[in-house]
Amino acid sequence: MTSKKQNKQSVDLSLRQFIKDLGGIAGGTALLASTPWLQSFTVDKLSELKKEKARLAVIGTGSRGQYHIHNMLDIEHLEIVALCDNYIPNLKDASVLCPKAKTYTDYKKLLESSEIDGVVIATPLNWHAPMVLDALDAGKHVFCEKAMALTMDECKAIYEAYQQTDRVLYFGLQQLFDEKYIKGIQMIHSGLLGDIVGMRCHWFRNHDWRRPVPSPELERKINWRLYWESSGGLMTELGSHQLEICNWAMGQRVPVSVSGMGDIVYWKDGREVYDSVNLVYRYANGVKINYESLISNKFNGMENQILGNRGTAELAQGLYYLEDDDASPAIQQLIAEIRDKVFSAIPAAGPSWRSETKGKYKPYAIVKNTAGVHSGASMIGADADGSDLILSSFAQACITGEKAKNIVEEAYVATILCLLGNQAMAEQKTIYFPEEYRIPYMKF
Amino acid sequence: MRNIIITPKRIKKELLILLVCLLIAIAVNIAAIISYQTSWWEILTQMGYEIAIALVLYFIFLIVRVLKFFILKIFSKK
Repeated sequence: MTSKKQNKQSVDLSLRQFIKDLGGIAGGTALLASTPWLQSFTVDKLSELKKEKARLAVIGTGSRGQYHIHNMLDIEHLEIVALCDNYIPNLKDASVLCPKAKTYTDYKKLLESSEIDGVVIATPLNWHAPMVLDALDAGKHVFCEKAMALTMDECKAIYEAYQQTDRVLYFGLQQLFDEKYIKGIQMIHSGLLGDIVGMRCHWFRNHDWRRPVPSPELERKINWRLYWESSGGLMTELGSHQLEICNWAMGQRVPVSVSGMGDIVYWKDGREVYDSVNLVYRYANGVKINYESLISNKFNGMENQILGNRGTAELAQGLYYLEDDDASPAIQQLIAEIRDKVFSAIPAAGPSWRSETKGKYKPYAIVKNTAGVHSGASMIGADADGSDLILSSFAQACITGEKAKNIVEEAYVATILCLLGNQAMAEQKTIYFPEEYRIPYMKF
Repeated sequence: MRNIIITPKRIKKELLILLVCLLIAIAVNIAAIISYQTSWWEILTQMGYEIAIALVLYFIFLIVRVLKFFILKIFSKK
């Protein structure tokens, strides 16, 4: 009991400390320009909540839903009042975690309840759009897992519904609340890396993405990630996070075109979605995102590299490197300079032919003691990746009714880019960003 | 079997050469510190590099002296 109490206090303090830390770093105004969704979450506003609690329901109580429940149980200013799932074993498991919550098997019945302020949706992708739209229609605040929706039309419908409502809408882009991403992007926007000249993102795992199925008729229900009718594959499940980070780094700029290839290379088990994707997203100024994902080799793990002419950030690892790093001792710099001159003097292999290795770059932590905490290996969620803080912020927004700036727009852009990537791979041609899906938020 | 006698004078001379090499290495490090504008503490913290450079210089001098010895020997025979 004591342990649980301490846990609750620590999460609450964590949110307060997080907000204080962000406010305290140099260039607070610049920080808010990089992260406008945090403007609603000042320490003063948090203290105004007093003892109020948001009454939330969780729709979809599978692995991700239960991960959210674990985080939610540690947040003081919310209570889980209802659970909903049409797969009974998952609903029972979730009920064990929060026995006081009322259970539903039909989300529409749940939305009729006046005792619910908001819903947390963690269902298969094809259910996102109908559930978000119905929940907003029912007057509920909504937190929905990423990606936004299965199709571009559904994304547009959600975006337009959000413009019409006074309800709060969040999407599960937890990196928006991850301190090392926030500070890393601020450093990029401040010019530490110079001009962004390219971006490289990858996510590698060695796992078939399958879950055990108790009977064959449940295959598409449980392994929904493997079929196009309910999933966007690697792009919506993994790529959406990384493309959002790229656009965040580029300051709301959005790629104008995408081309790529997708294949089922290894897991030929009846699935429809690719297990290997390689794409190139191109911005109007020529900067490109190289995106690669593979689930039959985990050697490279997960990374989001932002490449500038003066340095490189590895945001997932929470590190950055400088091109002209003068931190090495003088004698080592002198030896390196002599070595470079000796090698560059070889007539057949001038400076442009010399191999350049990463070895000479010294890593610096974006935030102390957080480097390397997220390898990307977890199927459900990583520790300290912002997932608890984004839920805490959502609960706060449910109480205050204050919408968070840009979260819906960021989710919209990232999801549309994922879906355009899937289209480019399916049609094997370059796809240009369609006019009909452009929104005022986007800069090209 | 021929006995090789290293005289105290020879030892003193070799140590002196090694000391000069070490001073040159430290001077190179000081020049690098001035040039790259880094911390003066590197005179101490980079002692390993300085010793390594001193040993390299010592062996270069050694090779030069051995060559000089053989060349003088050849000319003295003539």
